[in-house]
Amino acid sequence: MNTVRISALVGAIAFLVGLAFATFSELKVFLPALLKGLVVTLQVAGLSFVLFLFCSLLAALGRTSANLALRFAAGIYVEIFRGTSLLVQLFWLFFVLPEFGVVLTPMTAAVLGMGLNFGAYGAEVVRGAILSVPRGQTEACIALNMPEWKRLFRIVLPQAFAIMVPGMTNLTIELVKATAMVSAVTLVDITSAAVKQNLIHYRTVEIFLITMLLYYCLCQVVRYGSKLLEVRVSRYRGALN
Amino acid sequence: MKTPKIRFDKVTKRYGELTVLDSLDLDIAPGEVVAVIGPSGSGKTTVLRVLMTLERINEGVIWIDGEPMNRMRQGDALVPASQAHVRKLRSKIGMVFQSFNLFPHMTVLGNCIEAPIHSLGLPRAEAEARAEGLLAKVGLADKRNHYPSQLSGGQQQRVAIARALAMQPEILLFDEPTSALDPEMVGEVLEVIRELARTHSYTMLLVTHQMGFAREVADRVCFFEGGKFVEQGEPNAFFTQPQSPRAAQFLSKVLQAG
Repeated sequence: MNTVRISALVGAIAFLVGLAFATFSELKVFLPALLKGLVVTLQVAGLSFVLFLFCSLLAALGRTSANLALRFAAGIYVEIFRGTSLLVQLFWLFFVLPEFGVVLTPMTAAVLGMGLNFGAYGAEVVRGAILSVPRGQTEACIALNMPEWKRLFRIVLPQAFAIMVPGMTNLTIELVKATAMVSAVTLVDITSAAVKQNLIHYRTVEIFLITMLLYYCLCQVVRYGSKLLEVRVSRYRGALN
Repeated sequence: MKTPKIRFDKVTKRYGELTVLDSLDLDIAPGEVVAVIGPSGSGKTTVLRVLMTLERINEGVIWIDGEPMNRMRQGDALVPASQAHVRKLRSKIGMVFQSFNLFPHMTVLGNCIEAPIHSLGLPRAEAEARAEGLLAKVGLADKRNHYPSQLSGGQQQRVAIARALAMQPEILLFDEPTSALDPEMVGEVLEVIRELARTHSYTMLLVTHQMGFAREVADRVCFFEGGKFVEQGEPNAFFTQPQSPRAAQFLSKVLQAG
């Protein structure tokens, strides 16, 4: 009886392995192209992530500043980049700016477009976090005669940081997936590579299954990183529990 | 007369239509302990807040040691004060808040050395030594590495007092320091303040609802209502024989309540 079960199991496994092998037998034909696309996606995502953080912080500081001109400038930035489409912004950077004599490489245009666009959303997340630090914290700093910039960087921002992590994580995951748009400026990222390979090999299911898995893995990396960060920056808040 | 430590000269503070401080005058001598009492919502706290420069005043001048705080001298005229001028005078004042306002992301010790290092420019070792001395004084030396969220309200308020003292102010402002505390923790905080009043030369301005405490530690009690000091006097006289009907009415209510 046992032998029957074992042989049935072995048979089933052999069948599945054979099926998978048959399905993915041409993996080596298109996989290198997809991995090359992955490298481009990683570059765009990594660089625009840095720009995204920078723009978010800068614009949020501008929007919460006491200086009217700074508030106004930051407000204009957020409205323009949040109020128009990312795809159109990429087109502007890559196809329209050359008309005015500014020629950007595809990578530069992609990183600028993604970073500035997501920075506009991030600015609002950071601003919300800054505003949710209790007013009493600022008052304590005034009572202790702390200089304004130390009040900001040592007291308000560290507390705002713990509040902004979930919102910024959302945007970062969104940013990773939005890199699929950069084919608009001729970059060959994962998505663009997948479309090309599909036209050549017609292995639609495998190619797009792998593409999906790659995006999923990237987002898992972001999620995991964010979780570590969140534990770290909000340790003091959970100190009681 | 000696130069008053603090002088309010016709200080007016308005929030829109509402006048909270109405041409307020007040002189406080060096080392004097003054308790401000009055009905809730009357704006007693505002007296401390404008002195700490947490709020701007609309009219009048606040003087510290004979120097105008919200103004500065330019020749014979008084012009609006610069940031540097305000910071210089503000360094003489420390404040303890009703809701403690400790920095939650820093330890007890971190809270007490933050401003001495980053505002006074003290070396870390010196700031730590100073902070540890003060924490011992408020009975919390063993809590130096705890976070505020790990402490009781009374302990947090004692840390806040140590944090204010670490800046070595000459003037101490207490804004209802025990109002946010559970009843059993009020005593430990009052004891610390009582000790400060008894053994130091701080000029103290105290807004409180603890009538017994005000009577015990204050050199003078000021009854505040309607943007003005309606009555002031020596505590025993004030509490036993208030002169104004309003103060008498207020006292009969709060003393009855217990």
